[in-house]
Amino acid sequence: MERGGKEAQQYVWDGAIPLQIHLHDSEVTTLPPPAPALILAPRIGYLPLLSPQLKPFFSGALPPGVDTVWFDYKGLPLKWYIPTGVLFDLLCAEPERPWNLTVHFRGYPGNVLIPCDGEDSVKWSYINSLKEAAYIIHGSSKNVMNMSQPDQIDLWRSVMNGKLETYNRISSKLKLGIVRDDFSAKLNPSSSKIQHSVDETEATAAPKASRIPVRLYICNVDEDFDDFEEELHFDSWDQISYINRPVEINGEEFYPNSSNTIKAEFKNEPGIEAEEESKTGIIEGTSIESVESQSLSGQPVIKLVRIQGIEPKSEIPFSWVVKNLMNPDYFLHICLYIKAPKPLDS
Amino acid sequence: MASDSPIASRKVVVHLRATGDAPILKQAKFKIAGTDKFSKVIDFLRRQLHRETLFVYVNSAFSPSPDELVNDLYDNFGFDGKLVVNYACSMAWG
Repeated sequence: MERGGKEAQQYVWDGAIPLQIHLHDSEVTTLPPPAPALILAPRIGYLPLLSPQLKPFFSGALPPGVDTVWFDYKGLPLKWYIPTGVLFDLLCAEPERPWNLTVHFRGYPGNVLIPCDGEDSVKWSYINSLKEAAYIIHGSSKNVMNMSQPDQIDLWRSVMNGKLETYNRISSKLKLGIVRDDFSAKLNPSSSKIQHSVDETEATAAPKASRIPVRLYICNVDEDFDDFEEELHFDSWDQISYINRPVEINGEEFYPNSSNTIKAEFKNEPGIEAEEESKTGIIEGTSIESVESQSLSGQPVIKLVRIQGIEPKSEIPFSWVVKNLMNPDYFLHICLYIKAPKPLDS
Repeated sequence: MASDSPIASRKVVVHLRATGDAPILKQAKFKIAGTDKFSKVIDFLRRQLHRETLFVYVNSAFSPSPDELVNDLYDNFGFDGKLVVNYACSMAWG
């Protein structure tokens, strides 16, 4: 029965989005224009890491100038430090395959995107995200900061090249095991051995609350969900709320509980597009009753929860979701589509 | 919820600390709306120091994404009623 845990993580690491990448019209200097590039982009990867493959493909068509690569989807410049899989889950509500993106080598939109100097910037961003996660888990980033230089390089390369074994070997030294492995055992005795290989260091630890680093990307859909292939279009990142709030789990949590706490987050947020005014809720993984008692009226409805391209079933324990679906930066990136009612008094 | 509104509208005290050879600011503590993004802190420092390249950290540990909300950073990493932000002109903590 040693199936499930590791396999799921491997699936995530092997996951890729088929991209069809077009060179932006304004940068095409050849006739006929270059054909689009077809490329498989790893879910856990980052778009700028594709540029070594794309540059040779388009370089012949470019006007003279210095290359600074960026991408857009239907006119929305893509944030390069968000993992590619998250961008896809978030911006492509109805998964489009191949995903049609536009690449630019000129005219970097510095007002929307922070600068990116290729792989070094991406690595820096990844390591900082990892340090942030470590801080949430341990209250300090020391374990990551004290990593040897060769280990740091190997860890980064394992992410860049999708080498899960290397990643697990090096990341285990960081002692960031965040959830105890007996959750699944309790819930489903037949799969009691699922998680052992991942988290042996914590096997003897006493049960206690764990803080799970979570990044939430939330879009508000007003329209009926069925129509959203047509309706959903993002002109600006302001339409998406970005919330970083750890979720605490203490051993009894199930997935729906966490999603209730996410609902609580938006209880008081009538219109997400109306600015990121009121992130007033608090994620409390343990307080399901209080969440429910608050949510009698005007409660936003979660239309879709997507993590690594999956809509996790409600019976899946949150601990399993965290362990298997987190990104290599130890953050669980959750894309949420919610339908929040308009405020009654407006 | 009335009890929630103070959080929504609250200001966060940001304590700016120079690291390495970065110039020290005359005023080190500022209040900023919790609903602002961290990029606002970075932009503020850039303007104050007249430098394009800056490395900005929280708790001498990590650089948050510029998109993160000051409220989130304060809740997750603040202590003693403030959020400690370190800035340096060259990379201080990988």
